[in-house]
Amino acid sequence: MKQAVILAAGEGRRLRPFTVNKPKAMISIAGAPILQYVVESLAQNGIRDIVLVVGYRKEQIFDCMGSGEQFGVDIKYVTQERQLGTTHALSKAKAAVNDEFLVLPGDKLIEADTIAQIAAARPEAILVKKMEDPFRSAVVTIENGMIKEATRPERRVSTQSREPGIQIVNTGIYCLSRAILDYLKDEPSIPAALNSVIADGGKIRALETASTWLDVVYPWDILSLNGAVLRRVQGQLGGIIETGVTIKGLVSVDENTIIKSNCYIAGPVVIGRGCEIGPNVCILPATSIGDNVVIAPFTEVENSVIGSDVSVGPGSIIQDSVIDKGCAITGHLSAISGETEIKIDGYHRVKVGAMLGEGCSLGSNVVAMPGVIAGNYTQVKALKLISGQTPDRSLVV
Amino acid sequence: MCGIVGYIGNKPAQPVLFKCLARLEYRGYDSCGIAVAGNGIDLQKDRLRVGELVKKVPLLEGMTGVGHTRWATCGEPSAANAHPHLDCSGCIAVVHNGIISNFQELQQQLTDEGHHFLSQTDTEVLPHLIEKYYQGNLEEAVAAALKDIEGSYAIVVLREGESKLVVARKDSPLIVGIGDQENFAASDVPAILDYTNRVVYLEEEDIGVITNSGIEIRQNGSVIRRKEHKIPWSVDEAQKAGYEHFMLKEIHEQPRVIRDTLIGYGHEIAPIIDLESMRDTGTEAMLFVACGTSYHAGLVGKCIFEELLGIPVRVELASEFNYYPQTLAKTMSIVITQSGETADTIKATRRLQEKGCHVLAITNVVGSTISRIADLTLYTQAGPEISVASTKSFIAELVALYWLAMSYSIADIKRLADMLMTLRQLPNTVQQVLDNKSGIKQCGEYLAGYDNIFFIGRGINYPVALEGALKLKEISYIHAEGYAAGELKHGPFALLDKDTPVVAVVAKDNTYEAMLNNIREIKTRGAPVIALVENGDESVGEMADFVISVPKVGLIFSPIVNSVVLQLLAYYAAEKRGCPIDFPRNLAKSVTVE
Repeated sequence: MKQAVILAAGEGRRLRPFTVNKPKAMISIAGAPILQYVVESLAQNGIRDIVLVVGYRKEQIFDCMGSGEQFGVDIKYVTQERQLGTTHALSKAKAAVNDEFLVLPGDKLIEADTIAQIAAARPEAILVKKMEDPFRSAVVTIENGMIKEATRPERRVSTQSREPGIQIVNTGIYCLSRAILDYLKDEPSIPAALNSVIADGGKIRALETASTWLDVVYPWDILSLNGAVLRRVQGQLGGIIETGVTIKGLVSVDENTIIKSNCYIAGPVVIGRGCEIGPNVCILPATSIGDNVVIAPFTEVENSVIGSDVSVGPGSIIQDSVIDKGCAITGHLSAISGETEIKIDGYHRVKVGAMLGEGCSLGSNVVAMPGVIAGNYTQVKALKLISGQTPDRSLVV
Repeated sequence: MCGIVGYIGNKPAQPVLFKCLARLEYRGYDSCGIAVAGNGIDLQKDRLRVGELVKKVPLLEGMTGVGHTRWATCGEPSAANAHPHLDCSGCIAVVHNGIISNFQELQQQLTDEGHHFLSQTDTEVLPHLIEKYYQGNLEEAVAAALKDIEGSYAIVVLREGESKLVVARKDSPLIVGIGDQENFAASDVPAILDYTNRVVYLEEEDIGVITNSGIEIRQNGSVIRRKEHKIPWSVDEAQKAGYEHFMLKEIHEQPRVIRDTLIGYGHEIAPIIDLESMRDTGTEAMLFVACGTSYHAGLVGKCIFEELLGIPVRVELASEFNYYPQTLAKTMSIVITQSGETADTIKATRRLQEKGCHVLAITNVVGSTISRIADLTLYTQAGPEISVASTKSFIAELVALYWLAMSYSIADIKRLADMLMTLRQLPNTVQQVLDNKSGIKQCGEYLAGYDNIFFIGRGINYPVALEGALKLKEISYIHAEGYAAGELKHGPFALLDKDTPVVAVVAKDNTYEAMLNNIREIKTRGAPVIALVENGDESVGEMADFVISVPKVGLIFSPIVNSVVLQLLAYYAAEKRGCPIDFPRNLAKSVTVE
């Protein structure tokens, strides 16, 4: 098994505003998008021939992954212009695949351990995992180690219902043979196509994994993803660390970054290239900060994801928050975490701070209420309070 | 302007030579050829592009060879004029980039001595001269031949039966790539990145002997050691990676290029280079010299420097400046060239230095000729640019100029802090333009239907209009003219009608009202108008036929976002017309002849 097809054409609508300008697979944590972790996991398992099915905002993927050279893999691109389901995506890759290949989602956090078993398996097989309260359509039924049902029909069309309790779910990771491609054209999704294979007497094994497999469905899921990625941070200090800086735990600081006097950084924390942090900034676990970021004095950041090119002015407090790239925060932002109810496809009770889309600009002394989701390029004048959800390019005056 | 390569090692030379040549095509591509030393010298050349010749040629045996991709300067593009060129005996093969100015005399002299010439090129005198001086030692013969030559050259020489390549350069670029039991020579670094990232830059008038185990470089007859450099570029960066064209790839790389260039310059607005030493020359004026797209960067730079430093700046085209009687002695001079090899800019630099000027070079290529002759060099971090039409290197040059001006600015601290914040967010601002390019694509496709187009701007966006017109004409072959908006009345108005669209760059600065008047005047002549306006600007929309909204970035940075819009506009117009976007006809990436 030396080939993998990664499906990375999807948009991820429920993750808006973070997926307005990038595909879901390009959501970035600790300096790398989700897709890159998938590719690295494949490379670690010796799978270096990769076909990437791209579509929505594909340029972002081209820019980041290139020819795969820097990750030690060889990437071929296949374009799925319209996102018409996973079978449609896979059929686009038909001309590029060998007799046997893996299929993986490009937008789930997958570690090398997770796919070790299926990478060594023969077709046909599905990687499954135990999960709590999953979506009903993801649940599989197994008999004697073989898949009986690869997906279940929804009770009602066009809704996604939950199946309570611990269930065994399909991870969207498959080991398939070319023969399966013949079943693709009649079904919308790969699991549905596999159900037809089973109906025709085909055998599909179920391989179970207990390792990391994380999906990001809603904006606040980015924080749990961040937590999972930061668990494997390796401490390394590049750049300039001025005297009087305290660093505890695993902290990674990249080149050309300066950490000024009296900063206190408790890992796991990842800080990218060319940042300017401090003096007197407090960064608490688990935080990841992109490239070219400025964090001005007397600011505290805790359990948050800050994208590249962000400037955070002095005296701000940022907890459990996601701040996408290019935001300009003048100063004294209060983004404190709290339990709140957010409505995206129904109501969710979560503990979270602020979620700001790309390129937002906030005047001084803005209060961001827990759970606020600000659209891309939202502008907020000084001394305002923001809450709820704002569309892209909102103006708060 | 040509690309040359040489290979000696343990692999068949032909595939290596072709792969390297393909990466050099941006330097010229009207004809190409290779010579491989196996059983005698096998020569294959034609008026074809590399990809076409590959299909035509049988596999030549031999693990030593030279190759050339040409952009005709002396003698029309033809199979006979393509390199390599051989001597009378067919034992010596030469590839050459440069111009031999005294070739006619030499040719006459050699013909009188019984040599027989097959081409109209200047290069062909070289193999014959080497043949004349050859007495058992190739490098001595090359050294003797080069003594007779006037002009510029980078050459790789091969002789049947000798397991070595002889290389030499003067005023044309040449590098040596160090591999494992194999070595390379090439006009630039990306050519050999598939095989090695260890590089030695040859200096002026170096003569080197390359074998498969090493290189020996001599200058004036004595052996000299040149430093080996490790190149951080990966070959990946020289490939298209999913995009249809290098130009589109390079346009999309711009957010990263801006970020990398900024990160490279550091954290504080502090002088990154010692301009003070240049200021000691006692003059309070500056001179910028450049060609083509870099000249447009210089014109934007003029506005930035005049505003932030409060001193007058003169901007000159290098190709004209070299013929002007006055140089502005003892000024601070900045020369701008992406490749660092632009012949006119290099000549201007030398001339300025002779007059006592200190010269700061802004270039994208580490180790390029300009970086070695200028007093100071400021590098941009654009990475290799393959598309003939410059995009990311232009933006990187602008970022370098902004940073330089801000470093020495007399503006107040608060304003500088605001500017720095805007500058840091520019990667994302440019990304915003790229993310919303569907409207631009529509306008580009619209423009593809016309034969004459005007680009107008005012103030700091006047050079942006010039650059927009240049981009459009070079890749889409649509006749386009960049004009200062106020100058339209002084002539070009006679050309305006419903078939001459006007692209207007409207900035919300002190030129705004005047621009609105210009657009009104244009509309009364019935010409379609495409207006670039700041987000949220409603008043232009009523007048213009198409409006492209660009993100607000504050006055002084507007050229960056507007330029990116105009790059995309040109790209989509050319794509609609089915033009060969990365390799437009008659053009080469950098112009190393005057």
